[in-house]
Amino acid sequence: MADPRAVARFVKNRSAVAGAAIVAALLAFAVLGPLLAHHGPLESDFVHGVSPDGLPVGPSAEFPLGADRIFRDVFARLAFAGRLSLLIAVAATAIASAIGGTVGIVAGYYEGVRVRVPWPALVGAAGAVAAASLGHAGAGLLVLAVGAGASLARRMAGPHVDVDGLLMRLVDVLLAFPFLLLVMAIGAALERTTAVTIFVTLGVTGWPGIARVLRAKTLQVRAQEYVVASRALGQSALRVMVKHVLPNVAGPFVVTATVQVAQMIVADSILSYLGVGISPPTPTWGRMLFEGQDYYQAAPWLVLAPGVAILLAVWGFNMLGEGLRDAFDPHEA
Amino acid sequence: MRSIRTRREGPSRARRLAPAALAACAAGLLAVPLGCSQALPGPLPSAHGDDAPPRRGGTLHLATFADIRGLDPAGPVDGLNLAVIHLIFAGLVDYDAHANPVPELADHWDIEDGGRTYRFVLRQGVRMQDGSELTAEDVKRSAERALRPSTPDPMASYFQAIVGYDAFAAGKAEHLEGVVVEGRYIVSFYLKEPDATFLYLMAMHTLRPTCKSAGDRYLDTWLPCGAGPFKLEPGGWQRGVSLRLVRHGGYFRPGQPYLDAVEWTYHMGSIAQKLRFESGQLDVARDLSEPDIARYRADPRWNALGLFEADTTVYGESMNTRMPPFDNVEIRRAVAAAIDREHYRLTQPNRISVLNQALPGAIADADPSFPAQRHDYAAALEHMRKAGYPYDPATGKGGWPRPIEYVLYDKGAFVFTAQLLQQDLARIGLRIRLRLVSYPTFITLQERAGAAAMSPGNDQLDYLDPSAVFEPLFTTASISPEGTQNTAFYSNPRLDDLVARAHREMNPAARKALYREADAIVCDEAPWAFTFGYHFFDVHQPYVHGLGANPTGVFDTSGVWLDRAGDALDRVLDGGLR
Repeated sequence: MADPRAVARFVKNRSAVAGAAIVAALLAFAVLGPLLAHHGPLESDFVHGVSPDGLPVGPSAEFPLGADRIFRDVFARLAFAGRLSLLIAVAATAIASAIGGTVGIVAGYYEGVRVRVPWPALVGAAGAVAAASLGHAGAGLLVLAVGAGASLARRMAGPHVDVDGLLMRLVDVLLAFPFLLLVMAIGAALERTTAVTIFVTLGVTGWPGIARVLRAKTLQVRAQEYVVASRALGQSALRVMVKHVLPNVAGPFVVTATVQVAQMIVADSILSYLGVGISPPTPTWGRMLFEGQDYYQAAPWLVLAPGVAILLAVWGFNMLGEGLRDAFDPHEA
Repeated sequence: MRSIRTRREGPSRARRLAPAALAACAAGLLAVPLGCSQALPGPLPSAHGDDAPPRRGGTLHLATFADIRGLDPAGPVDGLNLAVIHLIFAGLVDYDAHANPVPELADHWDIEDGGRTYRFVLRQGVRMQDGSELTAEDVKRSAERALRPSTPDPMASYFQAIVGYDAFAAGKAEHLEGVVVEGRYIVSFYLKEPDATFLYLMAMHTLRPTCKSAGDRYLDTWLPCGAGPFKLEPGGWQRGVSLRLVRHGGYFRPGQPYLDAVEWTYHMGSIAQKLRFESGQLDVARDLSEPDIARYRADPRWNALGLFEADTTVYGESMNTRMPPFDNVEIRRAVAAAIDREHYRLTQPNRISVLNQALPGAIADADPSFPAQRHDYAAALEHMRKAGYPYDPATGKGGWPRPIEYVLYDKGAFVFTAQLLQQDLARIGLRIRLRLVSYPTFITLQERAGAAAMSPGNDQLDYLDPSAVFEPLFTTASISPEGTQNTAFYSNPRLDDLVARAHREMNPAARKALYREADAIVCDEAPWAFTFGYHFFDVHQPYVHGLGANPTGVFDTSGVWLDRAGDALDRVLDGGLR
C-alpha cells in the first residue's frame, strides 16, 4: 500500500502531475487512437490522400494529422506507433530493471565480502558466456540454469570470489561502450528485427545504470539494524535480499525504471530512424521521422507529428520519474 | 559533498525551466519547416555570359547518397561508380549527343567481313595517366584482363562473340584469339558471327584501356589508371567518405579537361545536398527530394538550370525464378498483374513514369497493341488460382502460405515502392516481408544465387539498344553464382535464341521484330514485374557550364567548366567556410 504522505507529496508536485497526465494521455492515444482513425495504419488512400499538386494532403477531418508520402493516415500510424514504442520501452525497461536490480542488490549486499562460489555455478556462467558469444543464447541460458540449479541443490566447493568487484567491473565494461552504438551494432547484426528483438536488445544492454543505483541504495539498507539482525539470526542471503533489502530499495527502483522508459523511447526511435529498428511498413515514431524528413518543407506534419510525440513521451516520463523520486524520498530532491 | 535541499525551497531551477524548455523545443520544431518554407535562394551568378569561351581551373563539387563499390572498369559497376569510371578511363569509342558511336581513343575504324571484323586504328601520341603511350598492345592486354575468368566482370558475356572467347573464358587459352595486334596502333577484333552491337560494346566501360600497371590480371588493390581526362592520385579515394580526381595533364584532347579537379562526397542525404547546393558548397545537386524538384522546376530562376537525364532506366520487381514461390510462372504473372503502377508514379510524379515492358522510354515499342504487363486485379487472382494458391479477398484466406522476403536498401524510392508492393500483393494472398540492408549488402544479396527471392530490380542501359536490356538481365549466359546481372536467374532457351539472333542481325527492321518478340516473352513470363522508369534530375548553378544530358544516362562531367563570379565566392564563404 502506498505511503499516504508520498501520495500527498506527489499530488502537490505540479510537474509530477503534468508528467503523469502526459503519460496517461499518450497511453490513451495509443490505445484509442487506432480505433478512432478513419484509415488503417498500413493503407494508402490514393483517392483522398493525394492533393491536387501530387503531394500528400494536410490535416483535415478525414486525415487529422495529414497523409504520409504514400498517402497513409499519419494519425493512425502515429497512434499505432505509440502502442509499439510504449510497449517496447516498457518491456525493455522491465528486462533492464530485472537484470540491473538483481545485479545491483547482489553486488551491494556482498560488497567487501569474498563469497565462496560453487564450481558448477562458475562453469555454468562461463559456458553461458561462451554459448551466447557463439550466437546460441538459448543454450547459454540452459547452461546457466543447470549451473545455478546444481549450485542451489547442494553446497559445493568453489573459489572465494569478490562478487561485488566482479559485477561492478562488468558494469564498468558495459558502461564504457556507448549504449546506442552497442544497440545499433546488435540491431545491425540481427538478420531480422521485430518488436521482441528490439526490446530484448534494449533490455539486455540498458541495465548497468540501474545496477549502479540499486547497489548504492543496497549499501545503505545493508547497514540498517533490521538487516544486521536478520543476518545474525541466520537467515539466508537470498531471504534477506528478498524480504528486507528489496522492499526498501523499491522507491529508487521505480524512479529509475520510470526515467529509463524515457531513455528506451529515445533509443527505440533512434534505432528506427537509422533503419535498424522494426522494418517497414510497421510504423514507429523514429521511422516516421525518417520517412518524412525529405518533405519537411512541403509536408511539415510528417516530421512534426512523430517529433512532438517523442518529445512529449520523453518529457512526460522524465517528469513522472522525478515526481516519484520526490514523493518517495523528499530529501533526495 | 552533495548539496541537500528540501521541498520548502521549491523546485529546482532546471525543473522550473522545463516547461519553457519544452515550449522552446516545440517552437523550434515548428520553426524548422515553417521558417524554411521561404522561397528558394537565387542562383549564384556566372562571371561571364553563356557565350564566353571555356575557362580553365576550379574544382567541381558533387555528392551522392551512397558509396561506390569500385573504380575498375572490369569490375562491377552501377549508376554511381560509372560516372567516375568514365572520367578516369577513355574508350576507343564514345557517343555523340545523339547516341551514335564516334571515335575517342580510336582515330577511326573499319567494319569488314559483313560485321565479323572490327579493325580500330588508334590515335597516335595518346598518353595514359602513368605517362606511357597507348598502343594496340594495351588494348589487347586490357581486353584480356577484363574478360579473364578470374575477373569479377558481370559484363563479360557481352563479348562472347569474339573468336576464342569460350576457350579463354574457360581458362583453356592464355590469350584471346580474336583480339589481334596488327601494328603498334592497329588492333582488330575478330567475331564468330556478325554483331550489330559491337561498337556500342566498345563504348562501354568494360574494355577501356588500362595502364600497364594494371597488368593482365584483375586485382582489388590496383590504383585505377587509364587515359581519361581525370586521374585518381594515391589517397584520393577515402572509401565511404569522398573521392577526388585531378586533371590528367596528358589528356589527348588539347586544352581539356577544363577543371583542375572533381570531388565527390559520399553518403550525403538529399537534405544535406540541397542545403549545401543552395549555399554554394555543392555545384550540382542530384539527389533532391520530390518536393524540392517541384520547387526548382516551378521557380523561373532555376527552371532552365534543371536537367532530366536520359530515359534509360528500367525498374521492376525482380523475382528469383529459382526460388519459391517464383519458380512458379503463374505466381510471377499474378505479381505482374497485381501491381498498380500508377500508384508507384504518384509517389514521385516528377521522376517516375509508368513502365510496363522491358524497354525504357527511349527505345520502347510505342505500339498500344503490344502485350505489355498491365494492372488487372481479376487476372492476378486467376493466376494465383492457376498457380495452385487461390486467394479469396472476401475472407482473406488462401494464397501463398509463408511470408516472402523482399531485400532492399534503406534509401531512395524503393523504401516506398516496396510498401506499395506489399499492399498490392497482400490483396492476392502474397505476404511480403521487407528486409532492409545497406546498399553494398543489397547488391551482394541480389546478385547471389539463392540469396534473395524478391528484390527491386533496376538497370540503367549501358547503351541505347534493346540488347542492353535483354542480354544482361534475362539471358542464361549472364547468370553466374555471384555478381550476376540476371537477378531473376531467368533462363529460357527460346528467349536466348531470339536475343542471339537479334544480336547478329544487321538489318534494323528484322532486329526490331526479334526484340519485340523477346519483349513479349519477358512480359508474359515475368521474371520481372516492370514498374517504372526513373528520371534522374540534376540542377546546377549558372556558373557550371558544359553539363549536358549524356545520351546513355551516365552523369558526364568531362566537359564541365566553371565561371564563378566573385560575389558567388563570397556567398560560399558566408555559407559555411568563412
